[in-house]
Order: sequence, then C-alpha cells, then structure tokens
Amino acid sequence: MSKSISLSAEAKAVAKRIHCLRDYLELLSEHGQFIKWPEAVMPEPDIRKIAVASSRDSMTAPAIMFDNIRGYPGKKMVLGVHGSFTNIALLLGYPKGTTIKELFYELIGRWGSDKPLLEWVKPDQAPVNENRLESDINLYDLLPLYRVNDYDGGFYIAKANVVSRDPLEPDNFGKQNVGIYRIQVQGPDRFSLLSVPSHDMAHMIRTAEENDLPLKIAVMLGNHPAMAMFAATPVNYDESEYAYASQMMGSPIELTTSGNGLDIQAGAEMVIEAELINNERIFEGPFGEFPGSYSGVRHVPLFKVTAVSHRNDPIFENIYIGRGWTEHDTLIGLNTCAPIYSQLKESFPEVVAVNALYQHGLTGIISVKNRYAGFAKSVALRALSTPHGLMYLKNIIMVDDFVDPFDLNQVMWALSVRTRASDITVLPNMPLVLIDPAAEVPGKGHRLIIDATGFMPPDKVGSDSKLVTPPAGNEIDDLAKYVSQLQREAEIK
Amino acid sequence: MTCPRCQAEEKELRTEYQGKEDGKVIWTVYNCQRCAFTWRDSEPAESIDYEVREEWFRVDPDSPDLYPHNIPPAKSKKP
Repeated sequence: MSKSISLSAEAKAVAKRIHCLRDYLELLSEHGQFIKWPEAVMPEPDIRKIAVASSRDSMTAPAIMFDNIRGYPGKKMVLGVHGSFTNIALLLGYPKGTTIKELFYELIGRWGSDKPLLEWVKPDQAPVNENRLESDINLYDLLPLYRVNDYDGGFYIAKANVVSRDPLEPDNFGKQNVGIYRIQVQGPDRFSLLSVPSHDMAHMIRTAEENDLPLKIAVMLGNHPAMAMFAATPVNYDESEYAYASQMMGSPIELTTSGNGLDIQAGAEMVIEAELINNERIFEGPFGEFPGSYSGVRHVPLFKVTAVSHRNDPIFENIYIGRGWTEHDTLIGLNTCAPIYSQLKESFPEVVAVNALYQHGLTGIISVKNRYAGFAKSVALRALSTPHGLMYLKNIIMVDDFVDPFDLNQVMWALSVRTRASDITVLPNMPLVLIDPAAEVPGKGHRLIIDATGFMPPDKVGSDSKLVTPPAGNEIDDLAKYVSQLQREAEIK
Repeated sequence: MTCPRCQAEEKELRTEYQGKEDGKVIWTVYNCQRCAFTWRDSEPAESIDYEVREEWFRVDPDSPDLYPHNIPPAKSKKP
C-alpha cells in the first residue's frame, strides 16, 4: 500500500506554486529572504567574501543574486538559496522563526512516502529549451564562472544535479541516477566530474568503460528547490531521485527529455548535455570540501559537452562550501538527520530526535529516553551500524529525551553535568569517510561516544541530586514565540 | 608568464576567455595544459602568484603517480 504525505494548508499552497527555482526565489523575496547585491563585484574575491559573510547566519541568511559581475555583463548568479533554515522552512510551508527541531519533525512526517508525482512536458514546451546551442560552445560565455575558495584548482559548478542512466540499461527509468557531483570546468566545452567510487555515477563510469559503451549525462543547473535538497539524499540504486523529491515535496516535478535522451527538469535554468571521454583522465582539484579542508589533486574522468539548453536570461545557481557553517550544511543537514532517525527508531522507539547537522554527520547528537544505566551507549552503537553511521557519525553525543539536541545550550548543559570521564567510549581503527582530515589514514580512524544522559539504576552516581524540571511543551514554545513577536513589535514602534 | 601552480611555460597555457567592460578587456582566464590549473589574471596573489601561493598546493605534472586515481580507467586494467 502506498503512503502519501499529509501536508498543512500552508505547505500545500507552497507545494502548488513552486515549479522551479524562479518560483522559489519569488517566495523567498516575499518574505524578505532574497536580496540583489547592489554593487558591481569582481568574480574573485568579492563573491567569496560575500558568501562567507552571509553564511554566518545559518538561521536567517537570505539568497543573494548578483547581476553586476564585472566582465560578465548581463549574467546572473545566485548563492545561498538553501543557505538558511528560514529558507528551508518557507519551502516546507512554515513561517519565519520556525525552529530546526520543528523542521526536523516535519521532514520525519514526510519520510517514507512512496507516491511519486511526476508530470511530463513536451520538449518544445519546456522552458529549459527556450534556447539551444549545439556547436561553438564556450561555458565561459554561458555562465559567470569563478573560483569558490582561493586554492581550488579551477572554477567549479558545485550545485548541479547530474542525470545519468546505466549504460547497460539505458531504458530503465528506475536506474536513472540524479546526484550532486562537483564539476570542474576544464576548458570551453570540457569538464571533469568527481564521484565517490561507491556512488551510482562511478558505477556507471566503470560500466561504460569496461563495455566500450557511451555514457551520456545531463548537468542541470538552477533546479527545483526540492531536487537540490533531495538529490543529495542517498536512495537505493533502483529508486528514482525525481520520484523521491516529488514525494517529499508533495507536488509534481515536471520533467522533459533532453536532446541526448535523459529525463531532465523542464524548468531548470540550464542543462549541459555531455558524454564521457572513455578512459581519459585529467588532474582535478583541490577543492575546498565540507569538512572545511581541501581534498587533494586526483586523476578524474573527463566529459565533453555536446549541447546546451537554457531558459531566457538564465540564472547560474551555485553554492559556497568550505569551512562551516556554509550553505552546504543547511542544504543537506536535515536530510542527513532524517534517515538516521528513522532507521534507529525501528530498533529503539526510545529515540526522540537526531541532530546530525555538523559536517554531514561527522558529529551527531541523539536524544533518547534512558531505560537503565548504559542503555544510551547501546543505542549509540546501533547508530554506528546505520548506512550513514558506517562511514560518518565519528563523534556521537547521547543526551536525555528532554534535551533538545538541536539546542546546543541544552547539549552543553548535558555535557557539563551529566558526563563522567568514564562515560566516554573510544572505538579505535574504525572506517571513516575519506576526506576527514582527522583520520589516522584516509578511510580509517577512531570513533567517540560520549554518554551525556543521566544516571539510572543500578548506577548510584547522582542519586543525591534532583533535577529542576522547568515548564516545557507547546505552551512554553508558544510563549517563546510570543516574546519574539512582542520584541519585533517593540522594534517597529 | 608561467603557470602559477606548476610553472609550465607560456606555450603550455591556453587562453579560455576574456571579460570585457565597454569593449575593453578587464581580465583574461587561462588554463594550463600541463597541470589543468585554471585562473583569472585579476585574482588576488595568493591564488595566482607562484611565489605567494602556499607550497602545499603546487602540482608536479611530471610525476603523475603522486596523484591518486578517483576511478582508474578500465583500459589500464587490460594487458
């Protein structure tokens, strides 16, 4: 039986009106979450500086449009579209001021839906096909390219959705993969694409080269905001990211066919069609990555651009990524928390919430209702065996059920008064994500579990103290919002 | 002019694009055919001046084995 999601009236209204990036920018603009940069900027270092300054505010940073980039007259670029939890809240039909915890539970409520909503648009009616180039392609002519971090090896397209199909089963929609991969422009009509060796794209590259088959891909820029958010969420190899994103959004994703036969978003700003140059490799990197460090130079597969389609007056949507907090953390944060929570909850209904927002879940905070002394440690060990936990979740902090893991002041309280040095567990020589700079060797390092939950029998420690139980629940949440509202009104007066 | 990253000679450098303002060139993007570095001549020195750049980021295209393969090409597996 299929499960569809139930949305609030506000969420339904948002889902109904948003078909593409432009619709989302309009929504953000109505809520003061979109600005146009008022002055001319140089591609470097101005864009980088503005992106870093804006990233400081993870709760309310706006999307920023640049339409006066020196040397790129008439071109538009936008950053920070998913750069704050307020922007994410608006996409999910929530108002400004929504807490991260509320957004987490909203996402959990949408999780597990399996009712794909896909609509097909004829290619000649798709906005992305308003303009098409099949020769003399120069990516610099089409996009205001720039260096994201100062030691990157080149100019990166860092927020593209890339579509590809299994070269052995090009007609299988389910085996069509949509993912976010970093793309380094390697010439006017060439780029390299880096895929983690275990990802679907790497599997397709190997299949194409081993069987001397062509691998055609479509690089979509300026995407439906739900696609940008959910294409980064791991789904199984035979599940479609399009189906998944439409389920999570609760509204259709509009698709059309690209010139090279792939299913693309009809309302994307630009689609770059390309083909793998089999067995060719090129130096790629460094690139400032999400752990806040550069990944080194590697030999990476190379693609040749075969055609470009784009809307009139296209917007180049890119992302700032580097040492956190950055848009990358907000973009993937909640989608990292949700699957860990769902998988953990199946084994332990005592789990209340999971905050794995930090560096793609290298640190996770899990709140759980303790059953007996040491119980939380067992839950932490189960978290390590979830698919994401296997490589990430390097540091786990366990807190009580009444501690909000998204409120770091509360987490620090738990660390301060609920943690004994003997409640720390180190698991040596465990698998670790390759680009974690704290690894013993790339791919291997130690894991840490800090049990910051309270003391339960038969543990006698702490039995002579009694916790203050401050009032909690919806009434207090509403009062906190009321205080903020009164404060805003006082400011206006 | 040499490559800011590997010091390849000028003949190895390709001009990719020129940014213009009122018909006048205000910057040029280059690509090094040896180490694949791309840069714009208007960037700050820490990105494009070989002497100012941190040594850690230098690339030696004559020693390709120093750099790992992301996905080894299938052809190299065959004898």
